Amino acid sequence: MLVARDLEKTVKTAAGPLQILAGVNLEIKRGESVALVGASGSGKTTLLGLLAGLDEPTGGRILLDDHDLTAMDEEARARMRGRLVGFVFQNFQLLASLDALENVMLPMELRGDRDAAAKARELLERVGLGSRLDHQPRQLSGGEQQRVAIARAFAANPAVLFADEPTGNLDRATGERIADLLFELNREFGTTLILVTHDPALARRCDRALTIDAGHLLPEPAASAAAGG
Amino acid sequence: MDARVPARLLWRDWKGGELSLLVAALIIAVSTVAAIAIFVDRLQQALVVESSAFLAADRVVRGSRPVPQEWEDRARERGLDTARTLTFSSMVFGPERSQLVSVKAVTPGYPLRGSLAVADAPFMPGRDTDRLPEAGEVWLDGRLLPALDVALGGVVEVGNAAFDVTAVVTREPDRGGSFFDLGPRLLMRYADVEATGVVQPGSRLSYALLLRGSDGALEAWRDEIGDDLNPHFEWVDIRTGSDAIGRALARGESFLLLGGLLAVILSGVAVALAAHRYSQRQHDPVAVLKTLGMTPREIQNTYLGSLLLLGTLATTVGLLLGWGLQGLGLIVFADLVPVYLPAPGWRPFLVGGITGFICLLAFALPPLLRLRDVSPLRVIRRDLAPNDASMALAYASGLIGSLVLLVWYADSLVLAGWLILGTFGTVAVLMILAHLLLRTGRIIGMQAGNSWRIALSALQRRRRENSVQIVVFGIAIMLLLILYLLRTALLDEWRNQIPADAPNHFVMNIAPDEVEPITDMLASEASGSDAFYPMMRGRIVAVNGEPTRDAEGDERSRLGRERNLSWTWDLPAGNRIVEGEWWEPDETEALISLGADYARDIGLAVGDRLEFDIVDRRVEARIASLRSVDWDSMRPNFFILATPSMMADLPATWLTSFRLEADEKQFLTRLLRRFPTVTVIEIDEVMAQVQRIVARVTLAVEVVLSLVVMAGALVLIASIQSSMDERMREFGLLRALGAGRRRILGALVIEFAALGLFAGVLAAVGAEVTVWILQEQIFQLPGRLHPGLWLGGPLIGVLLIGTIGTISTFKVVRTPPAIVLRETG
Repeated sequence: MLVARDLEKTVKTAAGPLQILAGVNLEIKRGESVALVGASGSGKTTLLGLLAGLDEPTGGRILLDDHDLTAMDEEARARMRGRLVGFVFQNFQLLASLDALENVMLPMELRGDRDAAAKARELLERVGLGSRLDHQPRQLSGGEQQRVAIARAFAANPAVLFADEPTGNLDRATGERIADLLFELNREFGTTLILVTHDPALARRCDRALTIDAGHLLPEPAASAAAGG
Repeated sequence: MDARVPARLLWRDWKGGELSLLVAALIIAVSTVAAIAIFVDRLQQALVVESSAFLAADRVVRGSRPVPQEWEDRARERGLDTARTLTFSSMVFGPERSQLVSVKAVTPGYPLRGSLAVADAPFMPGRDTDRLPEAGEVWLDGRLLPALDVALGGVVEVGNAAFDVTAVVTREPDRGGSFFDLGPRLLMRYADVEATGVVQPGSRLSYALLLRGSDGALEAWRDEIGDDLNPHFEWVDIRTGSDAIGRALARGESFLLLGGLLAVILSGVAVALAAHRYSQRQHDPVAVLKTLGMTPREIQNTYLGSLLLLGTLATTVGLLLGWGLQGLGLIVFADLVPVYLPAPGWRPFLVGGITGFICLLAFALPPLLRLRDVSPLRVIRRDLAPNDASMALAYASGLIGSLVLLVWYADSLVLAGWLILGTFGTVAVLMILAHLLLRTGRIIGMQAGNSWRIALSALQRRRRENSVQIVVFGIAIMLLLILYLLRTALLDEWRNQIPADAPNHFVMNIAPDEVEPITDMLASEASGSDAFYPMMRGRIVAVNGEPTRDAEGDERSRLGRERNLSWTWDLPAGNRIVEGEWWEPDETEALISLGADYARDIGLAVGDRLEFDIVDRRVEARIASLRSVDWDSMRPNFFILATPSMMADLPATWLTSFRLEADEKQFLTRLLRRFPTVTVIEIDEVMAQVQRIVARVTLAVEVVLSLVVMAGALVLIASIQSSMDERMREFGLLRALGAGRRRILGALVIEFAALGLFAGVLAAVGAEVTVWILQEQIFQLPGRLHPGLWLGGPLIGVLLIGTIGTISTFKVVRTPPAIVLRETG
């Protein structure tokens, strides 16, 4: 489903070029759930951005569902994201001006889906927010906002779901409920899940964990150890 | 993509208030410009109508022989209205007495502009009338009734014909223009002239064809007639018709234009700031939309579409508001100047509309187009902003938009050029100064109290943004100061243009032996009488030995025209030598001094030798000097002055001027009874007309100024709003850390007051320099310094920005810090 070959990312800084990722190779199969773990600043969020086509690498190739993301311009990558990719973010990233229902409808509407409203309503009921369809994000708690975000992520029925610290802004109990929901829906929809997290418990719930250390992907057994598993 | 998505996003942003400032800025931009344009349009129409009344027409062709019938026919073919007048001097006979009068014979339709006023008795207030004397009737100047000892209903004779006197004519619109048209008025039908038999070859006659119609048709007719006009006819429009009014009009228009331009720039800046803020607040939603699969092109089209929709909406509202605004202005100022203004044409609405869209494209579009380049990666990395290249595009487009608007609106490259040069020069200098001021502020702040330290370190921390803000505030205040100063300078100048005690009557045709008794009579019964000047009429027949009939075109007709000449030992008051030297007392050489403008027009210079034909005698003289002449002084002025030794033995009449108040008019009757051959010209009506025009232009200036002030306030609010998010976050944090409300409020007041102070100082410097240049270059007024500015600028800055800034950010103090931090995240 997702393949990265010799992935590199270097950025220019005042002190000269800074290498964030170097020689990353990975392959993720359809339906698999994978945790990206590592210390702060290790490069895991950068890797997520690259794999999801939000950013361009300075070297290497990424194949998403056999499409070469690195050969595309932003226009084509955006279309690819709309077709194949869903996101869940640490800070939810709901559109403040739209209510819960409209936020969930958005990805479907962007695709031109006629039944967006009905499907969105169904999804929101599925995440337990059937009674809060017309609430604006700021009227919802953090946990509720993340549920809306999860509903939105699955709304377009993506092949791959990227989650960046999905429970990072939530208390433990809420975080666990959100994680349950995420994995549940992931199973239901048969989505490939790639998840960046600091939380060893969350990482353990994935099929496997990949550890990034100073821009390098560690071999997998070591990765399991680093993830605490 | 489903078209409902952008529509819903726009609708929600609108409902959430995200767009209010942008829309308000656009509406203000359009309505200000539209209001000014509509108002100026109506005012110009009114001024032209009012001013045209001085000619009794829009244009006049004047000459000493009848204007060809063919010309009048062609004018009518072009849809122009026409009328003819014939003016000449003649003796008129009452039952007992006779009097030299100025006869004006007019065709039906006269006057084409303005109106005649008549009364039923001499020296009574007149009422407007649209009638003319019937065939066989004449209307007389009030002074003629005592002079001829005739009453209404009586009979007077002009040449071979007798006429009934049916009314007293108290005002005619085109009176008082030319010195040729002297003597008390007798108004009659053009068709009755023939019966009098007074028009003989050699009579001094002034024929005129009056024209009324659109500028286009008038100019087309003028082009068609072309050179045939010269040398016998003169083409007169209001600007050549009356110097004082022409200049008041031109300056008034320049000012209104300038006001309009400043309003456009200010509103443009407000639009840019509001769009910038809106764009910044859209970065996160756009990043999300991009992760959801919206392509850069779709983003661009979405915002472009939204902007066009908003633009159309704001422009429509702006135009309506502009219309209402100028109507309101009229109501507010109605007591001041009760005027009727003609309905506006379509042009001001077009001007307003186009301005709205140029503002939109140049100022609002670039920041929104930058959204196209927002990285979707922003959803996980907040600090990513569009690159600098698209920022440069935004600046460039704003610059080009301003240029287009300025040049288009000013219709004067010089004015637009100065404004652009001034603005950008000022921005560059101000940026450097603002930086320095902020630095100084920090050094002082380090030694100051708590709120001060917070405020000044906040100023210092956002040094770049604050420099920009200071410059924006500075320019806004500067523009206001400039406008205020120019307004004051213009109004003062207009008020002083005609001194309150200026003479309002001229007496001419005074015989040498009448000078002394008239002097005595004036001294005892009138106020403010002037010196007596000798006068005669003469023509330049040769320049440096070459006959003037060989000179080319226009120059020839001007050179050879008959002029009033006078002679004096002393340089008259209000005259200034600009070249050469005034003559010494007892100069024996025949010398002359010419009005500088007159000399330039006909191509003469100091040292040229001129030959004059004065009463059939040839006199030669050398040009000794050129003078600037203050034609607004309302005192006798002459293009040509000579040494007394050159003229003393030629027969001359004398003239003088004096002042009479409205209730002293009876003096004229006594004067004319005693000296029936002198001619009195009343110019009090003319002066009142000038003052009415000045009052209207003044009104326009006030309205424009208040509109520009509104645009300026909007810029301030927009500019403060654009830094609101960051301020909210910072002060929320400070409050969370335990800073009390008072301290935060104190810091806010100090921060904005300091910004205002710096901006005010810069504004004072900028205004002083710009006003100096504008006065010297555009308005042709002498430049001078304005010490009041140095106090006023900073004071306005502190009060205005301190108040608006504190009020706009007051929310920070009132909202609990947790909410502030959560909302601004």
